[in-house]
Amino acid sequence: MEYLGQCAVDSILLGGLYTLMVIGLSLSFGITRVINFAHGEAIMLGAYGAYWAMTLWNVDPLIAMPVLMLLGGIAGYVLFRILFTRILSAPAANQILLTFGLGLILQNVALTLWSGDQRSANPAYVFSSFQLGDSTVAVGRLIGCAIAVLLVGGLFVWLKHAEAGRASRALAENGEAAVLMGINVNQMYAIAFGISTALGVATGTIMSSLSAVTPFMGFNMLVKSFAIIVLGGLGNVMGSVAGAFLLAFAETAVSYYVPNGDGWAEAVAFAVLFFVLILRPRGIAGQAVME
Amino acid sequence: MPQTRTTRLVSTVFAGLATIAVAGPATAQNLTIGAILELSGRFVSFGAHCQRGLDMAAKTFGDKVAGLKYEYAYRDVQSEARGVISAFGELGGTRHLNYVIGPTASPVVAAAIPPWQQSKPLWLVPGASSLDVENLAGQEPMFFHTYPYAYHYHKSMAAALRRALGPGKKIAVLYSDDAYGRSHMPAIEKYYIEAGFEIIVRESVRTNSPDMTPVITRTAHSKPDILLGVMQTTDSIALAKQIRTLRVKIPYLVGMAATQLQEWQAAVGEAQEGWLGVSTYLPGTEDWPADKTYPKLLPSTKDWEAKFDADYHAAPDYDDITCYANAAMLLLAIQQAGADDKEKVADALRRLDVMTPMGRGHFEPSEGTRQQAFADLLIFQRQHGKSVILYPPEAATGKLVPVE
Repeated sequence: MEYLGQCAVDSILLGGLYTLMVIGLSLSFGITRVINFAHGEAIMLGAYGAYWAMTLWNVDPLIAMPVLMLLGGIAGYVLFRILFTRILSAPAANQILLTFGLGLILQNVALTLWSGDQRSANPAYVFSSFQLGDSTVAVGRLIGCAIAVLLVGGLFVWLKHAEAGRASRALAENGEAAVLMGINVNQMYAIAFGISTALGVATGTIMSSLSAVTPFMGFNMLVKSFAIIVLGGLGNVMGSVAGAFLLAFAETAVSYYVPNGDGWAEAVAFAVLFFVLILRPRGIAGQAVME
Repeated sequence: MPQTRTTRLVSTVFAGLATIAVAGPATAQNLTIGAILELSGRFVSFGAHCQRGLDMAAKTFGDKVAGLKYEYAYRDVQSEARGVISAFGELGGTRHLNYVIGPTASPVVAAAIPPWQQSKPLWLVPGASSLDVENLAGQEPMFFHTYPYAYHYHKSMAAALRRALGPGKKIAVLYSDDAYGRSHMPAIEKYYIEAGFEIIVRESVRTNSPDMTPVITRTAHSKPDILLGVMQTTDSIALAKQIRTLRVKIPYLVGMAATQLQEWQAAVGEAQEGWLGVSTYLPGTEDWPADKTYPKLLPSTKDWEAKFDADYHAAPDYDDITCYANAAMLLLAIQQAGADDKEKVADALRRLDVMTPMGRGHFEPSEGTRQQAFADLLIFQRQHGKSVILYPPEAATGKLVPVE
C-alpha cells in the first residue's frame, strides 16, 4: 500500500503530540475529579513562555521547558490551594464554571499582555527532517513524541514508586479509605493539580514551534483532549495514551487513504469515538467515575 | 390667589423642566458609528489593527462631524458568528444606528448579514474576500465593500503567474474546509484555467489541523509546479512550516493575504522564503499623493506611515490603513451630507472620489457588488526576508524565482 510507512510514522508522531495534550488533563481528573476547562490555558501559557524565552533571550524551548514546568507546577499548586479547594464538594456545574471562567480570564490576560498576534518559535530543528526508508520524519515532531514518552514514563514512575504518587493513586481509587489512612487530601490534590499544570506547560513548549501561538490556542486542543480522555476512559492515564494513539492512527489513515481525507479526518475520528463508546461505554481502559 | 400662584409656579417649573428635557438631547445629540470588530478570538489581529486605523482617523478628523459629536460604539464579536449577531442586535436595539464599520473576516461578515438586514444601516466592510458575502449582500444599496473579493485575488495572481511562467503549469490547491476556503474555489477554477493552468489537485484541509503532513505528502507526490494554499493565518502558518520541514519540492508556493502580515512572516521564520501573496497595501512600497481637498485627513502614504509610526511605534498593515481610509471616507460623506441621514450619507459616499493613503477612494460596481472600492492588488514574493512586487508590471520591483 502506498504511503504505508509514512502513514505509520505520521500516526506515531501525532499520537505523541496527542499524548502530551491529554496526560495532564487525565491525571488531574483521575485524582481530583475536577474537570479542568482551564487546562488549555496552561498549554497556551507554556507556549508563550517558550516563545518569549526564544525571542527575548534566545533560549531554546527545550532548554526552557524544565523551568517553565516548574513555574507552571507551582502556579497550579497555588491555584488549587486558593481556588479549587473551595469547590471540591460543590456540584460539578460549579466546578466547570470556575475552571471555564478561569480559562477565559487567562485568555484575556494573554490577549492584553501580548495582543492577538499569532506567533511561533522557530528553533533550527523545527525545520529539520530525515529519511527513514521511504518516509520523512520531522525532527520537531519526533522530539515532541520523545518528550511525551519521557513524561508519561516519569509520571508512571512517580505514581508507582513515589510516596506522593502512591497516595495519589490511593485517593483516586478510594478517597474515603485514603483519608482514614491519614493522607492529606487537599495537599495531594494540589500536588496532582500542580503536576497536571506542569504537563500542560510542557505541551505548550513543544507546540510553540509546531503551530501558531495565540491566546486562544488552548481551547481547540482542549476539545480534542476531552474526546481522547473519554475514548481512553475518564481519568485513566494509560487509557488516555491508548486513546491518543487510536485517534491519531484513525485521523492519519483517513487523511492518506480517503479523497479529501484531511477534511474528513476529524469526523471519522469522532465516529471511532462514538463506536468505541457504544461497545465500551467507560472507554478503552474502562475506569468507573464515582460521584 | 395663592393657590393659583402656586399652580402657576409649579406649571412654570414643569414647563421649564420639560423644555430642558426636550432641548437637552438635541443639543447633546451624538452620532454613533458601530465598530463591530474581531477584538478577540482567532481573527483578533484583523480587528485590533482595524481599531487602530479607526481611532487614528477619528483623532485626525476631530470629534464633530456635520455639527454633531460622534463616537465609535466598539463591539467585540470574539471572531464568532454568535458574537456578531448579538452585537448587531444590541447596538440596533439600544442606539440610533445608521452606520457600521466591520467586521473583517469572511466567516464573521457572512454571519453578520442576516442581523444587518434587520435595519440595514449603511455598512462599510473593510474585509471579507468570500464570494458568499457578495452573493448575499453585494446588490444591497447600503452595502459598501472596501476589500478585494476572491476573484480579485485569483484574477491578479493567475495573471502574475502566467506572465512569469507562461501557460501549461500544474497547480495543486489546498483549501481550508470552511467558508473561506470553499468560497474561493469557483474563482480559482475560473481564473487559473482561463490563464492556461491545469489544476491537478484539489484537497480540503480542516481548520486548526494539527498535522498537514498527509495532505502535503500526497500533494507533493502529484508533482505540481505551483501549490496554492487557500487558508487563513493560523493554518497558513502551519502549512508553510510543515512544507519547509518536509523539504517538499514544489517550485512555486502561493499564499493568500496572510503572507503580507508581519506576524505571519515572523511566525514562519525561514519558511517564508519564496511564498507569493496578495495585498492591497505593502508598507514602504507605494507613495500615493495627498488628497488636494483634504490633505490633513488624507495625507500622502509616506506621511501617513510616519504619523502611524509616531502614534503606534509600529509598521502598519493593510487592516490599519484600510480601516483608516474607511473611517475617513465615511466621516467625509457624513460631513458632505450635512446630517445624520443614512440615505444622504450613502449618496455622498457613492459620489466621493478622494485620494487616500492606500490609493483612490471611490466606489464603483464590481462583478457582483454595487459599491466596491480598493480592489486593486499587488502580487509579491517573499525573497530574502523582503517583499518583492511582481505584479502589476508597472509596480514590479523584481522577478519571480522558484523556491530553493
